[in-house]
Amino acid sequence: MSTRKKRSIFDIIDEYFGSLDEWAEIFREAMIERPSWNQRASTIEPLRDILVTPDVVIVTADLPYAEENKVQVKPLDGNALEIIAKMRRKVRFADFGITHQAGEFQTFRCQTRIPVPVDMKNMEIRLKRGILEIRLPRKGGYRIPTE
Amino acid sequence: MAEGLKLSEDVKIIERQKIPSGVTMLFGFPDVGLVGVIAASHMISELNLREVAYLDSKLLPPLIVLHEGLPHSPIRIFGNHDVLLAVSETAVPAGAIQPIVRTLVDWGKSKNVKEMISMSGIPVQNRQDIDELKVFGAASNSSVLKTIQEKGVEVLKEGYMVGPQAIIMHYCARIGVPAITLLAQCFYNYPDPEAAAATLKELVKITDIKVDVSTLLEKGEEIRLRARDVMKRTQKEMAKMKKTQEYDIPLYVS
Repeated sequence: MSTRKKRSIFDIIDEYFGSLDEWAEIFREAMIERPSWNQRASTIEPLRDILVTPDVVIVTADLPYAEENKVQVKPLDGNALEIIAKMRRKVRFADFGITHQAGEFQTFRCQTRIPVPVDMKNMEIRLKRGILEIRLPRKGGYRIPTE
Repeated sequence: MAEGLKLSEDVKIIERQKIPSGVTMLFGFPDVGLVGVIAASHMISELNLREVAYLDSKLLPPLIVLHEGLPHSPIRIFGNHDVLLAVSETAVPAGAIQPIVRTLVDWGKSKNVKEMISMSGIPVQNRQDIDELKVFGAASNSSVLKTIQEKGVEVLKEGYMVGPQAIIMHYCARIGVPAITLLAQCFYNYPDPEAAAATLKELVKITDIKVDVSTLLEKGEEIRLRARDVMKRTQKEMAKMKKTQEYDIPLYVS
């Protein structure tokens, strides 16, 4: 006689959602796995990050060698930005000892989506320590008065 | 080439030459700001350290690193007569950190290392505005803690530590190996050579190791550019290990 424990409906549901999570992870990885260098366009995709606070969305991007007066931040629509930054020097694969690929890069370029509504017209930009910081005020909703 | 101690079924350390006994063992693993890896890479070139052993594990992704056309394990131990340095050139999968780090610590203990020191960072949100980076220390026992305090290291009194250095510290405390963690204020998601330099300056204060950081600071932008891909992969592993807990305030339980 088998001693196998009978699985409850909750175990089956847990397993189902567990396998869904695994597939979602694989799918997500497959979608975002790509080189950070675009040889055709001669651009490098910078590392970037988004912090959403109650009042402001702060987008940062790591731009080593970027020239302060050659950084452009363009709103693409109400909820996306494009960052383009020219570097002080050209970077070649050979500079890193890579000889099986050819290409040189002098521009950072990326597009990033802002996850909440923001006021693009009032964005503030600064470049310090080679890190670009873009502050976007969040669009106000409505306030419920507190009695 | 000598077969090293087989300390676990999943993780093995293969020794390439005779390993010195009774020296300091350092760790530089991918983590916030890649502080430990950048510091370790600088030490390897500055002190001309040689590969003395490497780690082989089924728990790592199926990858090797090619240098000058020859294959290398992504996790290697470098050294000379005075120091051993374990460093990873790839983001270590969150689930593999425990067995890999424990095996490295067991191996170090089998070589009677004097102490184990992890080099890493502690993320701060206003990093961009900090000119003088602070380096905090923690230790595996009160005697070591007192020693580093006397040498001028500011102690990280309360907080969470997540990642390889947490495992090293905890495991060393359990098995009675003196261990220190040095954590420089750093960027969370961006390679931070300045933080690596700050960590190395603190390391010089508490050990006999001499390492100059001027070239590290000069090459800062080049290192940041070069380290982007490792940082990107490390970010994913940090998310899996819930690294942002380091921002949390611990609940005091006495």
